[in-house]
Amino acid sequence: MKMYKLAGEERFLLWAVCSIQLQVLCDKSGEKLLLLAEGLLKKHIASHSMHEPEALMVYISLLEQQSKYNDGLEVLSGDLGSLLMIEVDKLRIQGRLLARANDYSAAVDVYKKILELSPDDWECFLHYLGCLLEDDSIWKYFDNIDQIHPTKHIECKFSHLTEEMFDSRISSASDLVLKLQIDTENSNLRGPYLAGLEIEKRKFLFGKKNENKLLESLLQYFHKFGHLACYASDVEAYLHVLSPDKKTEFVGMLVKNSDSFSESATKVLGQTTTILKVQELTGNIFELPIDEIEASAVKLAKLYCQNLALSKDLDPQESMFGEELLSLISNMLVQLYWRTRNFGYLAEAIMVLELGLTIRGHVWQYKILLLHIYSYVGALPLAFERYKALDVKNILTETVSHHILRQMLESPMWVDLSNLLKDYLKFMDDHLRESADLTFLAYRHRNYSKVIEFVLFKQRLQHSNQYLATRVEASVLQLKQNADSIEEEERVLENLKSGFQLVELSDEIGSRTLRFNEDMETRPWWTPCPEKNYLLGPFEEISYCPKENEKKDREENMKLAIQRKSLLPRMIYLSIQCTSTALKESVETNGSKGDTKISGELECLLEEYTKMLGCSLSDAVEMITEISKGARTSESLGSNLVEWLNFAVFWNGWSLSSHEHWHVLNSLFERLILDRIRSMGSSDMSSCYSDVQVLVQIITEPLAWHSLIIQACTRSSLPSGKKKKKNHQQHSDQLSSSPMSQTIKDSIQSLCSTIQEVSNWIQNQLDNPEDDQVERFLSTLKRAEDATGGPGQILGVLENVIASSEEAEVGNRIFDALKSWNTADSARKTVMAQQRVFREFLQICESKRKQLETVKQQMSHV
Amino acid sequence: MVCIRRATVDDLLAMQACNLMCLPENYQMKYYLYHILSWPQLLYVAEDYNGRIVGYVLAKMEEESNECHGHITSLAVLRTHRKLGLATKLMTAAQAAMEQVYEAEYVSLHVRRSNRAAFNLYTETLGYKINDVEAKYYADGEDAYDMRKHLKGKQNHHHGHSHHHHGGGCCSGDAKPVETTQATDAKAVSK
Repeated sequence: MKMYKLAGEERFLLWAVCSIQLQVLCDKSGEKLLLLAEGLLKKHIASHSMHEPEALMVYISLLEQQSKYNDGLEVLSGDLGSLLMIEVDKLRIQGRLLARANDYSAAVDVYKKILELSPDDWECFLHYLGCLLEDDSIWKYFDNIDQIHPTKHIECKFSHLTEEMFDSRISSASDLVLKLQIDTENSNLRGPYLAGLEIEKRKFLFGKKNENKLLESLLQYFHKFGHLACYASDVEAYLHVLSPDKKTEFVGMLVKNSDSFSESATKVLGQTTTILKVQELTGNIFELPIDEIEASAVKLAKLYCQNLALSKDLDPQESMFGEELLSLISNMLVQLYWRTRNFGYLAEAIMVLELGLTIRGHVWQYKILLLHIYSYVGALPLAFERYKALDVKNILTETVSHHILRQMLESPMWVDLSNLLKDYLKFMDDHLRESADLTFLAYRHRNYSKVIEFVLFKQRLQHSNQYLATRVEASVLQLKQNADSIEEEERVLENLKSGFQLVELSDEIGSRTLRFNEDMETRPWWTPCPEKNYLLGPFEEISYCPKENEKKDREENMKLAIQRKSLLPRMIYLSIQCTSTALKESVETNGSKGDTKISGELECLLEEYTKMLGCSLSDAVEMITEISKGARTSESLGSNLVEWLNFAVFWNGWSLSSHEHWHVLNSLFERLILDRIRSMGSSDMSSCYSDVQVLVQIITEPLAWHSLIIQACTRSSLPSGKKKKKNHQQHSDQLSSSPMSQTIKDSIQSLCSTIQEVSNWIQNQLDNPEDDQVERFLSTLKRAEDATGGPGQILGVLENVIASSEEAEVGNRIFDALKSWNTADSARKTVMAQQRVFREFLQICESKRKQLETVKQQMSHV
Repeated sequence: MVCIRRATVDDLLAMQACNLMCLPENYQMKYYLYHILSWPQLLYVAEDYNGRIVGYVLAKMEEESNECHGHITSLAVLRTHRKLGLATKLMTAAQAAMEQVYEAEYVSLHVRRSNRAAFNLYTETLGYKINDVEAKYYADGEDAYDMRKHLKGKQNHHHGHSHHHHGGGCCSGDAKPVETTQATDAKAVSK
């Protein structure tokens, strides 16, 4: 403001106005300031007028922010309105202001005008319809900002309209749409036809019994645009309003109608692909019998092969014809696996997608599908490789890394994980650091409305759930990596301000709204978000709209998960501190005041931690005690098993002098780990990776923290310097013979033998010769000559083509790719990747065991 | 086809997602921001019927030369939404804005020699002409065509713009790119 007063320049005034707007937007308070800003602008306009379109936009948005829509309209239609150069832009603002001022009939006229200028403007059509039906719910999606692709198909309100009113308005909309369709007949625009569908949908939602008419319109749209790759996503929202029976009926209609088409090959290909996509979207495909799905997949594979020649002359960066077929086939195969648990189908899905990638290396869908299948079968290094091939960087680290992040966090591949976390944090931190410069850039270019957008965008990233989670995970990873040496661990803790910073973060998160910027739409159907994987449960029909309702739960769960995790470093630190007291107590039975403070803080954190697990401290203690005694099964811990174990470890750390607690903890570890090993038995990685993941987490988190506490106990009991040696000798003598020392030794013994069991199991897996494993993998794809169903059919179709294809027919690029394909190589890569995970895990187990053995020896010297 | 509208800062998330799906290039975030915060009138997205961003054009005004001209930095359309005329619409919108808002005399762009589809779009549909060939323009060593299209510029301007000036010049007045973004030229970041 000062600068404005000095220089009298418009830009300084607008700077101040924007700052006020932002303050109100972010704090949701200080609305009176808006009035002040408005006054300043008015005064400025009176004396200097206004010169920049952006300044006008700010002025209007300021009025809008105060719901002064009519004032905004007045400004827009006045002299200042001519600052806006592009007519349609101006009309859009006018329409919006009219609609928000509830002047619907005037708004309808404005939107009609825009539609006549650009008949394919979908957003404008929705606004037109909304105003016509006096329905303001369309403006609500302005608040629905948390998705990358905010849905524009919102709920519709009709209750204020009589049937007569509805009919007459809808019929005027139909007239307009018909006119637009006729006007644009030769331009192949989808908009006017989709508008027709939208009208049928509104009628249906209003309660007209026009389901059949809606189906008919969908079919007409299919006749016109069914060959386009965008058909399925165009009509998705219309399919969802249909009843399950009608969905099935519609699929039947499509199948029947597509057969009568035999125009160009590309059109048939496009339509067939579309039908499959509609079957996926409606969930219809999950109701088909297994043999029908198999037959359909074989048909698609043949279609893919038949049409390879169409792509002969395409540039390498162009999409191939039938590219999507392979993704659809792989989706079917995964479903068949889910239903039959026959691993061959999954192996086949891998082969189909890998072959697809060999032919066309850039197809991101193949990479993402492979990434998830590889993750599921425990071939994580390959999954990571496919992820890297997506070339995820910059803001994509925020929107796309959810595909791999969780699996990596639960894996023993620490080096890759550490790089992944570092790259992501570097991008976010750099961006947040540079944002001041960028804000200034927008100011200098006098793009005031962008300043506001940009600052809000920055907040969106700052409050990203993934960003917060990753900050915590990066610290926890360091602690995991250094847990074998208490000195190293203390150094890490020191850098983390003894874990205090993250506790503060946890408190902060509690009151924050987390933002979700991940693009979940690119995930495969069977794992719609990182926490969910249908394949881990039994086959059941999945309903296809659960995404929305899951969002709220997800926010709550993520918040709790991040908060719990951020308490870990502090609890580790406090537990280590507690050991010295506990040992002194056990020898001298009196602790100092400072130590009470530490133990008090730890108790508070434990209470907070259990609260976030959904129960009180005493209930939590009861729970783990019962599980350790076998009175309850580990299933009662649900999906938070690792966190419950963390709790048990720190609870023991808080009450070290209780021998019983040590005992509970030992048997808890033993029971949970050995149960899992028993249930895995001799099954191979592909079918038990989720159990391996849990084991990795138990060993690298709670067990590692417990072994740190043991190290701390031993250290306190060992002579620390020459000076004190004599005193310590006496002290240690007492300790070595004390029951406490025996308790620790017992615990070490128990942990060592439990870890040894894990190592043995891994070693058994590694002892299987690689060739045998490859053979076993390939045998799941082999088919008996007379077999009618089962895995291997599709690969058979594809391999036939590879054998018989000719260069002249498919072009040299595709031909060379086909010839370079080798099924066994692909199987071997998978097996090798699984083995690498085992080796990394074994190394971690061995180093933990060795470290505990060393401690045991130290103890025996005491 | 579809709604062609000005991009917002939030759209950047979806715009970059387009890059994952259709272009091997991937500009740094600050490069996008540099564009949208400097010349917001020149960024358009194609929004499909279900609200998805399926294409975008990223353009800027060249500030260093005497002749005021626009430059198309990047144009992308999802593979699933090609051959629907989206690229033409996006380009037309950006060109019109260059002309109407910034009074650009011409618009330039670079295209890979091997990218036949794009080359045809620029020459046949949009009327661009080859101005020069830049050897090894792209990081992988491929040449680029430097293409230009003349705009009507100041002469045939329909709209009154007596109010409109950006500190005198055709480009945004005193604004100079900040140090960090200046280094990130198209050549440096595109592959």
